[in-house]
Amino acid sequence: MRQVPEVAAPARPDRHERYPWPDEPVLLSKRIPRLDGPAKVTGAAKYSYDIRRPGQLWGRILRSPHPHARIVLIDLTEAEKAPGVKAVLAIAEPGKKVMYQGEEVAAVAAITEEQAEDALRLIKVKYETLPHLATEADAMREGAPLVFKDGNVREGDAEEAGDLEAGFKAAAHVVEATYSTQVQTHVSLETHGCVCEWDGDNLTAWVSTQAVHGTREGFAQALGIPQANVRVITEYMGGGFGSKFGPDVQGIVCAKLAKLAGAPVHLMLDRKEEHLATGNRPSSTSKIRAGVSADGMLTAFDAETWGTGGAGAGSGFPLPYIYVFPNRRRRHKDVFINAGPQRAMRAPGHPQGCFATEMLMDELADAVKMDPVEFRLKNLPPEAPNAMWRRYFPIAAERFGWSRRHPTGDPTPGPIKRGMGCAANRWGGGGQGTQAHCEINPDGSVIIRCGTQDIGVGTKTIVAMVAAETLGLPLEAVKAEIGDSRYPFSGGSGGSTTAPAVTPAIRVTAGKALDELKARIAPVLGVDASTLVASNGRIHVQGDPSKGLTWKEACRHLGTQPIAVDGRWERGLSASGTSGVQFAEVEVDIETGVTKVTRITCVQDCGLVVDQLTAESQCIGGIIMGVNYALYEHRLLDRNTGLMVNPNMEFYLLAGTSDIPEIDVMLMNQPERGVIGIGEPPTISTAAAIANAVANAIGTRVRSLPLTPDKVLAALAEREKAGGTL
Amino acid sequence: MKAFAYVNARSQAEALAALSTASRGRIVPLAGGMDLVGLMKDYIVQPDVVVNVKALPADITVPPQGQAVIGAAARLADVAAHEGLAKAYPAMAEAAGSVGTPQIRNLGTVGGNLMQRPRCWYFRNEEFHCLKKGGARCFAVDGENQYHAIFGDGPCHIVHPSTLAVPLIAYGGRVRVAGPEGEREIEADRFFVMPDRNMFGETVLEPNELVTGILLPPLRNTLSATYEVKFKQSHDWPIASAAVALRMNGAVVESARVVLGYVAPIPWRSQAAEQVLRGKRIDEAVAWQAAEAALADAKPMSENGYKVQVAKTALRRAIMKATGAQVV
Amino acid sequence: MAHEDDRDDGLNVSRRTFLKTVGASSLAAGVIAPGEVEAQGPAPVGPGETAIQLTIDGTVHRLRVEPRVTLLDAMRTRLGLTGQKRVCDRGSCGACTVIVDGRTIYACSVLAIEMDGKSIRTVEGLARGTVLHPVQQAFCDHDGLMCGFCTPGFVMSAVALLESNPSPTPEQARAALDGNICRCGTYPRVLEAVLNTKGVSRG
Repeated sequence: MRQVPEVAAPARPDRHERYPWPDEPVLLSKRIPRLDGPAKVTGAAKYSYDIRRPGQLWGRILRSPHPHARIVLIDLTEAEKAPGVKAVLAIAEPGKKVMYQGEEVAAVAAITEEQAEDALRLIKVKYETLPHLATEADAMREGAPLVFKDGNVREGDAEEAGDLEAGFKAAAHVVEATYSTQVQTHVSLETHGCVCEWDGDNLTAWVSTQAVHGTREGFAQALGIPQANVRVITEYMGGGFGSKFGPDVQGIVCAKLAKLAGAPVHLMLDRKEEHLATGNRPSSTSKIRAGVSADGMLTAFDAETWGTGGAGAGSGFPLPYIYVFPNRRRRHKDVFINAGPQRAMRAPGHPQGCFATEMLMDELADAVKMDPVEFRLKNLPPEAPNAMWRRYFPIAAERFGWSRRHPTGDPTPGPIKRGMGCAANRWGGGGQGTQAHCEINPDGSVIIRCGTQDIGVGTKTIVAMVAAETLGLPLEAVKAEIGDSRYPFSGGSGGSTTAPAVTPAIRVTAGKALDELKARIAPVLGVDASTLVASNGRIHVQGDPSKGLTWKEACRHLGTQPIAVDGRWERGLSASGTSGVQFAEVEVDIETGVTKVTRITCVQDCGLVVDQLTAESQCIGGIIMGVNYALYEHRLLDRNTGLMVNPNMEFYLLAGTSDIPEIDVMLMNQPERGVIGIGEPPTISTAAAIANAVANAIGTRVRSLPLTPDKVLAALAEREKAGGTL
Repeated sequence: MKAFAYVNARSQAEALAALSTASRGRIVPLAGGMDLVGLMKDYIVQPDVVVNVKALPADITVPPQGQAVIGAAARLADVAAHEGLAKAYPAMAEAAGSVGTPQIRNLGTVGGNLMQRPRCWYFRNEEFHCLKKGGARCFAVDGENQYHAIFGDGPCHIVHPSTLAVPLIAYGGRVRVAGPEGEREIEADRFFVMPDRNMFGETVLEPNELVTGILLPPLRNTLSATYEVKFKQSHDWPIASAAVALRMNGAVVESARVVLGYVAPIPWRSQAAEQVLRGKRIDEAVAWQAAEAALADAKPMSENGYKVQVAKTALRRAIMKATGAQVV
Repeated sequence: MAHEDDRDDGLNVSRRTFLKTVGASSLAAGVIAPGEVEAQGPAPVGPGETAIQLTIDGTVHRLRVEPRVTLLDAMRTRLGLTGQKRVCDRGSCGACTVIVDGRTIYACSVLAIEMDGKSIRTVEGLARGTVLHPVQQAFCDHDGLMCGFCTPGFVMSAVALLESNPSPTPEQARAALDGNICRCGTYPRVLEAVLNTKGVSRG
C-alpha cells in the first residue's frame, strides 16, 4: 500500500522572488464558501458511486469468511450460468492462503446488482481452515501457531538517546503505566470502488481515490498497459482519510470484469467490506516507565511498545511525542494478526503516540503536583516557527478557561463530574511536485487545471482562490478543473501535502499566465510590462488604476491567440511543520460510566491560511474524528473466531449531532511561512486531551481507548477498592 | 437479499390470510421494515413471501376512563407525539420517542418494535451459526459479550431489543394478537419468552399470527417513569433501561411494577424490587434498596459486569423520576 | 455462506411454546394437514419484476422492480436518481434520507414496492432552477458540508424539521439531525446552518 510520507521542507522558506504571496490579499485568508457547495447540496454532484454508463453492469466481490484458510477449490460454473451474469472471475486460486476475513476470492458482474449478489452466492469455494490469530495477545503468546512465516512478531530496533540510567537516578518520581489504543477504521462514507469502461485498449476509470495520478499508475502497472492508455477521473469524492491511494484489488478486478464482459462495470464495496478490507489505524500498547525531577523536569523515558496493523502490516508510531526527555529508550514490535491490513489513517501514528505521551505527562505532573500546562511549558522543545506550543498553550488556556480547572478529581457532589485536559500536536504538512496549466481566453474566461483532487477538504476552492487572487479577478471569473489524470501531475492528497503542493503551483502558473498577458497588452497601453499589475478586475499601471484596461478589454487584445501556460511548484511559497494544542472539557456520569465531551478549544497553525472558513472546518472535522476515537470507535474482532462483530455503522459507533461538543477553533495565521497542510494536525491531540479531562473529572485514569462506560466504571471500582474517594 | 414474492395486504383479514397460506413457503410480515429489511439484506431471514401488514390498526385511543389501545401499525413517532398518551402513560410515550432516530420512529411501528429480532452481533452476522440460527453454541459466552444478558442463564444470551416492551409490562399492558381463529389478548409479561421456550423467536406469537395492538389498563394514583442509559446520545441502544409504575396510596407505594430492559433475553420483571417498594415512602434510600434487590441475582459474563451497575442506576433513576424528582 | 434452513426448527419449537402458553383453542391455525384445503390469501407478486409507480420530486416514474429492491436502489440503480447516497445500507447513517408524507425515512430500509403510488421528495427536488432552497443555501453559506456524501441526507432532515417547526431550538435541531452521520465532522456547521435558515414555509 502506497502511503504519502511527511515531506521534509524548511519551516520558514525564503520568500518567492517572482510570485510571492500578496501582503494584502483580497481573497486569501478570507472566509470563502466552498465552490462545490451548490452541486453537493442539490445532489447534482456525481461521485464515482453515482456514475452510470450506457450498458453498465454491476460488480460484486466474494470474500473469505475465514480469518485464515487455504483455498482448496473455487468453482465458478453455477455463477456463470446464473441469470444476468456477464462475467465471473477468480481472484485467488486454489492453494492460496487467505490471511484475513474479507480477503478477495472471486468476482462477478451482472446486469443488476441483485443478480450479481445472487451469483456470488453460487460460487462454491472450499476452504481448509487454518489456525488464526485474533488478538495481539494470541500472536505474542508462547506456543502460538506460527501464522506469519517470518514470525508473528517483528522486533524493531531500539531508539535511544542520552543516558537512561543517569536519567532515572536524577528522577525524584518514577511513573510506570501502560497505555493502549484500539483499531479504528476509516469509515469513508463513500466506499472504495470505481466504474471502469474500456474503449479498445484504453481504460477510463471513475474512482473514489485520493490520487488520480497514482491510481492511473496503479491501473497501468497491474493491467500491463501504458499509463497513456488510462484515464482516472475523480470529480467528487466521499472521503478517504488515507485509505484511498490506488486502484486496489477491487479496481483491478473491476477493470478485468469490464474487459471480460465487454461492458462498463460499476463496482463499489459495501459497508462490511469497507470495515474488513480497506485499511485501518493500527492498535498500540505502550508500556512506559518515566522519571521526573523534583522541580518538574523530565529526566528519563523507557518504553516497550507494540501494536497490530493486521496481517503482515506495521504499527509504528512516534514516541515520546513532542516533549523533551533527555534520556530515553524505546523498543517497538509489530504484531501480526489475521485481520485486514492497516493503511495510512489521518496523521498515521500520531494520535497513538500523543495519547500515551500526554497521559503520561499528566501523571508526571500529578507526581510533582504541578499544573499540567505549567509542567508542559517546562518540558517543551524551544520555540520555532514549526514548534509554537510555548506560545499556544497559554493562549488556548486563556480562551478555554483553564484557570477554573480543579485538581485531579471533581470535588463537587452528585454523579456528574467535570474535568479538563489538554494535549499538543505536531505534523509536517509540506508538499511539492504539483504541476498546473492556465488558460486565458480572448473572451476573458480563465481555466486553471491541475491533476489534484478534492477529497472533501476544499481543494477545488483554494485552487480557484489562488488563481483569482493572482489574476486580480473575482472568484467566479476563474474556472478550476481538477480530478482528472489528463490534467497536469499532482501527487496524492494525503499527509496534509495537498495545499502546500498545489497552491504554489497555481500561484506560479497563474502568475506566468498573467505575465504573458501583461507582455501582450503593454504595447497597447504604451507602457513597460513590468509596470503593470492586475487587481480588481483590471490590468493597469501600478499606482494608477486609471491607466489600464478592464480584464475583458485586455483579453480582447489576445485576438485569436489565447494564453496557455504550464507551471509547477516552486520553493518559497509553502513550508512544513505545524503545531497546535487542544483543550477538552468533559462530563462523566460516575454512576453509568458515560462520558460526554462538552467543549474543545483548538489553537492551531498551518502557515498561511488559504481559506479561513474551510481551514476551520478541517479543524472541526479533525476534532470530531478525535472525539470518535476517544469514546466510540473500535474495530472489534471476536476473540475466538477472529471475525469482526461490528462491521456496520450501528455497533461501530460514530458520534451524531447530539454527541458533538462545542468547538472553538483559533487558527494562528503565519503568512510569512507560506502554505502548510491542515488535514491531519487537528485530529491528533483530541483523544489525549479528552482522556486527561476524564481523569481530571473522576480522579482516576482510564489508560485505554476508547473510554467506554465499562472501562470508566472499572477504573472507579478499582479506585474505590484501593480506598480512594472522590 | 434473496428474492421473494410480495403481498400487499389491504386489511387485517388479508394479512392474516396471506400469512396462513403456508404452501407458498416461508412467509413473514413486513411493517415498518426497519428490522426485517436489514435481516433480509444480511441473509439472516430468507423468506419466500413478504406480507406488507401496514393496513393493521394504527389508531391511538386514550379514553378518559377505560383502557388505552394503540394499533400495531401506529408509528413510533405518533406514539411519542400523542399528548393524551404522554399524560396518561408518560413512560410509554417517552420510550417511543427514544427509539433509534427520527427516521426510524417515522418508519417503525409499535408491532414491529415488539416483534423485532435481537441486535446480538453474533445473531446479526451471517458467519456465526449461533443457537438462534440452529447452531450449536452461543458465541457470546466466551466472546464479546459487553452488550449481552446479565440475567437468564442462557443458553442464548441476547438482550431483548424492544424499547416499548419495558414500560408496556410495567403498566401491566396486554398484547392483542390475531390469528386465523380470531383475536386473543396476552399479558405483556407472558408474551415474551426465554430462549429455552422459543429459541427461534422471542415471543409466543405463532408464524400465522400478528400483533394487532397493545392495550394499557386504566391507571389510578399511579406514578410511572422510564429511564434509559445510552452511551451515545444521538443514536444508540440502551446499555440498560428501567420502567416503573407505582400505584400510590397517599405517599406510600401500594403496589409496584418494575421492569428492566436490555439485561435479559426478555424484558426483565423484578419482583424483588417490587417487594422492596411495596408499602414504602419513596426516597433515595428506598430506590437504592430496590435497585440492589433487582440486581442481586445478576450473573454477568466476562465483559458485561458493568451492566449490573448501569442497570441499578437506571432503576434508581426511574424510581426517583416517577416521583417527580430531578434526575440526571 | 448460506446456512441450512432453520425456520423449520423455529416452527416446531414455537409450536410447543404455543401449546404451553395459550392452550389448544387456536390450535388449528398454521399447520396444513395433507389434503386439507388451504384458505388462499391475496395473490403475491414477484419474486420477478413487477410494475410500480413512484412520484419522485413531482415526476411520475413507472418502473419494473423485483419486490426485494429497496426504494433507494430503485432510485439510484433504476432511475439514475443518485442524489441520496448509499452509505451504511442498514438504516444507521441517514445518507439515504427522503421525505414521504412529510416525514423523513431511510430509503435503504423500505422496499420500492411498498412505496408504490407514493410521493417521495429527495434532495434533487428542492432547488428552483439555480435558486437553492433556503436550507441548501444555508448549508453553503455556513460550510455545512465537506466531502458532501452525507449532505443530501442532512439537507432532507433539516428540511423536514423546518417545515414542521420553522424556528427550532438548538436542542430540537440536534434531535432532528440525530439520524444522520457525517464522517468529515461537519455537525457544528450543519447545526449553525439549520438554526440560521430563514424562509422555510410550513410543509
